[in-house]
Amino acid sequence: MIEVKNLKKEFEKTIKDPGLSGAIMSLIHKKTTTVKAVDGLTMHVDEGEILGFIGPNGAGKSTAIKMLTGILTPTSGTLKINGQIPYKNRKEYVKEIGVVFGQRTQLWWDLPLVETYSVLKEIYCIDEAKFKDRMDFLNEVLNLQEFIKSPVRTLSLGQRMRADIAASMLHSPKVLFLDEPTIGLDVVVKDNIRKAISKINKNDKTTIILTTHDLNDIETLCERIVMIDKGKMVYDGSLYHMKETYGKMREVIIALNNPEEIKNIKPDKKFGLTADDYDIAKKANSVSMKFNSAKVEIPDMLNYILGTVSVKDITVKDADIEEIIKKIYKSEVKPGEAV
Amino acid sequence: MKQFKSVKRTYGAFVNAGIQDFIAYKASFFGFFIGEIFMCFVMYFIWKAVYASTGRTDFMGFTMLDMMVYVFLTHISGFLIQTDATFSIASEIKDGSIIMRMIKPVNVDLSFLFFEFGSKIMIITCVFVPVMIGLEIYRYITLGYVAFKITRLLLFIVSISISYLLSFYLNLIFGYLAFYLLNIWGFGVLKEELIKFFSGAVIPIAFFPGVIKKVFGFLPFASLTYTPVMIYMEKYNGIKLIFNLSLQIVWLFAFIAFSSGLWKWAEKRLAVQGG
Amino acid sequence: MICICSEPENQRKFLDRKDGNKLIRFIKLYKIFVAQFLKNLMEYRIDFLTGAVSFLIGQITNILFITIIFSQIPSLAGWKYYEIMFIYGYSLLPKGIDHLLTDNLWSVAYFIVRKGDFDKYLTRPINPLLHVIMEKFQFDALGELITGIVLVIYSAIQLNYVPGAEEVLVILITILFGTLIFTSVKIACCAIAFWIKKSGSILQIFYMSSDFARYPITIYNKGVRFIISYVIPFAFTSYYPAAYLLRGGNGFVCAGKTILISSIVFCISLLIWNRGISAYESAGS
Repeated sequence: MIEVKNLKKEFEKTIKDPGLSGAIMSLIHKKTTTVKAVDGLTMHVDEGEILGFIGPNGAGKSTAIKMLTGILTPTSGTLKINGQIPYKNRKEYVKEIGVVFGQRTQLWWDLPLVETYSVLKEIYCIDEAKFKDRMDFLNEVLNLQEFIKSPVRTLSLGQRMRADIAASMLHSPKVLFLDEPTIGLDVVVKDNIRKAISKINKNDKTTIILTTHDLNDIETLCERIVMIDKGKMVYDGSLYHMKETYGKMREVIIALNNPEEIKNIKPDKKFGLTADDYDIAKKANSVSMKFNSAKVEIPDMLNYILGTVSVKDITVKDADIEEIIKKIYKSEVKPGEAV
Repeated sequence: MKQFKSVKRTYGAFVNAGIQDFIAYKASFFGFFIGEIFMCFVMYFIWKAVYASTGRTDFMGFTMLDMMVYVFLTHISGFLIQTDATFSIASEIKDGSIIMRMIKPVNVDLSFLFFEFGSKIMIITCVFVPVMIGLEIYRYITLGYVAFKITRLLLFIVSISISYLLSFYLNLIFGYLAFYLLNIWGFGVLKEELIKFFSGAVIPIAFFPGVIKKVFGFLPFASLTYTPVMIYMEKYNGIKLIFNLSLQIVWLFAFIAFSSGLWKWAEKRLAVQGG
Repeated sequence: MICICSEPENQRKFLDRKDGNKLIRFIKLYKIFVAQFLKNLMEYRIDFLTGAVSFLIGQITNILFITIIFSQIPSLAGWKYYEIMFIYGYSLLPKGIDHLLTDNLWSVAYFIVRKGDFDKYLTRPINPLLHVIMEKFQFDALGELITGIVLVIYSAIQLNYVPGAEEVLVILITILFGTLIFTSVKIACCAIAFWIKKSGSILQIFYMSSDFARYPITIYNKGVRFIISYVIPFAFTSYYPAAYLLRGGNGFVCAGKTILISSIVFCISLLIWNRGISAYESAGS
């Protein structure tokens, strides 16, 4: 379905020194530098898959997505989606894809929502019967009817996002690109949107590429994730596999009877743990301790804690995906290398 | 003295920011500038044709040279007194970021004003000085002697400074209209067109028939560019010069009073709306 | 139908498909936008009205200027008052039509590209240029259009001028292709934003140079005349056709030249636009 080989995108960037003198200098002499936003990305996505595309800010996610959607022309590398080269046969290509950019809307600001859909109906040449079917389905999944007559500018962020997703799904695209579809939304709305995405994926067998900073999106939706950093791929594989490999960190939350006792907890000394494998932090009413369960067995750790301090309450938490990702960002895994 | 230093420090930052902003958007400024220069040249050719058609050297009291000085000086003065106050304040009112100015320990209109000083410094050095030198060289070549008078330049600077403040407060008042109006854009264009007409930017006020000329001369619009240009061209002398300068000052105080009244009212309204 | 394509290989596909369908689609889309616009018009009628009135006042100022000049002289470079008015009015027709239909190009030059909002147009299966243009309908232009029509008709009456069939044809052709000149200049200038992010000021310069064309070009020196005839050919939007209508000449040559020149400018502007799209860098991370 999606075939990407050694994809690269470089930008020229002007550097400006800070302050007034820097601004004046930039008038006389412009310094530029080449930024490699995407630096040799290779990946493959199957039909019907939901792929989580993650990475820290500025990793090159959006640039990659923009190349995949035909908005940007790659500097080099090959790109084939749905049998087409996005930036070459752009107009034909985009008929088969849907795009949602969470940070901006594709809806017409002053038009009632329903008008946006009738415009899109014409743009994508959707015939009347199919349009009606499709609207019914999207209505059911995304609950549009409550605000479909209102001008877009009056919608709340959550409503707008639902409307945007519907707009990108109206023409039953084979591939859907969602760039941060849950950004800035509250927990309930996020949950609804995830459910809707999942339903759309099941119903239409839509291939979905999802970028997000909210790892709950990934956990609920994606079987497979691709992580990039500084334009290079640092991980490609299932979420399960990632947890297995890196997920040995455990978090123990301890409520102490006497908060002063925190200084007595020193498992790093006892078990000989390095900073990579151990961390402790004081929270409002408790102590949060993280350690690598590959180095110290959980029962041993618990025994140690219970023997050292007086505990009111204690809980052990599973590997937090955020922790794993932090670790992958830190460790220097070479791109393409199996993890 | 101490107070002055702290004022200098606070608002100096705004001036600085203004200069940087000007540099960042220099392209758009020079775009407008070149556009205006185009207009000046259209005028130049029209007047050349007009003087050729009359066969006289004088057109309603203006020689061809006068006319050229008038056209270029009016456009350049337009630049010197041009201010973005209307749109910057209107957009801040619209998106609510005006509150960010209110929570800082500075005076709202002064913060706008000093920000603009920054870009004015740049305009004076990059545009005003070269154009004036060019204009004086043109005058020298045409007349055969130096017509430039330092006293007139100084008077012009005094007058144009008042004009700028006047223009700033006029625009501020228009900006506050954003509290009422959905879209300030149309009114902004309307204001520009009205100023162009009443300030003599296209047609010198002297060309209008008797009563209209008198009325236009009293309106605040004439105080914007017409008065300083007339002063520089030595068309206003003695009593007339003093009278027109005083008129500028009177209008300035009237506008300051009006805008601060409007702002007090707007502040209350903001408080009522809860921001 | 005007065919605007991104690449030659696309051009073939474009023509292979049912052209009739395409036209119907555009008309349908345009109808939705215009209907919506009319609804908005009622909502924001004060804004629309002020816009139109402002442009009207701008025109009246200029007309008054000409009138005051003519109170002192019988003719300007051999042109009488009503002839000048006719040329001036004629220049507003293509300018006004272009202003009415393609005003959104200004937004491309000023913000759409800079803010990265152009992404939207690239993810749609219709031509991005047509898409951008179609989205906005600028009512303010009526200020110019009405002034233009009134001036042309009124001065024609004063000049006792009655166009024949051939002249009417030339009028229609030159207005249509004159509009194309304005649109092309706007397309080319706003496309520069694809490289430098913000090209509003460049557009401003070129657009303002059309002011040269609203007076008889015989008043300018050779350099200016050459530029406004063959570099930024605004003279073909008003002076040349108006001069033909008033002073006579070969109508076929006049219309033909306008068509040729405007087509050339249009092709160049499309070339720049298409180059621009592949250089587009979007915005943000």
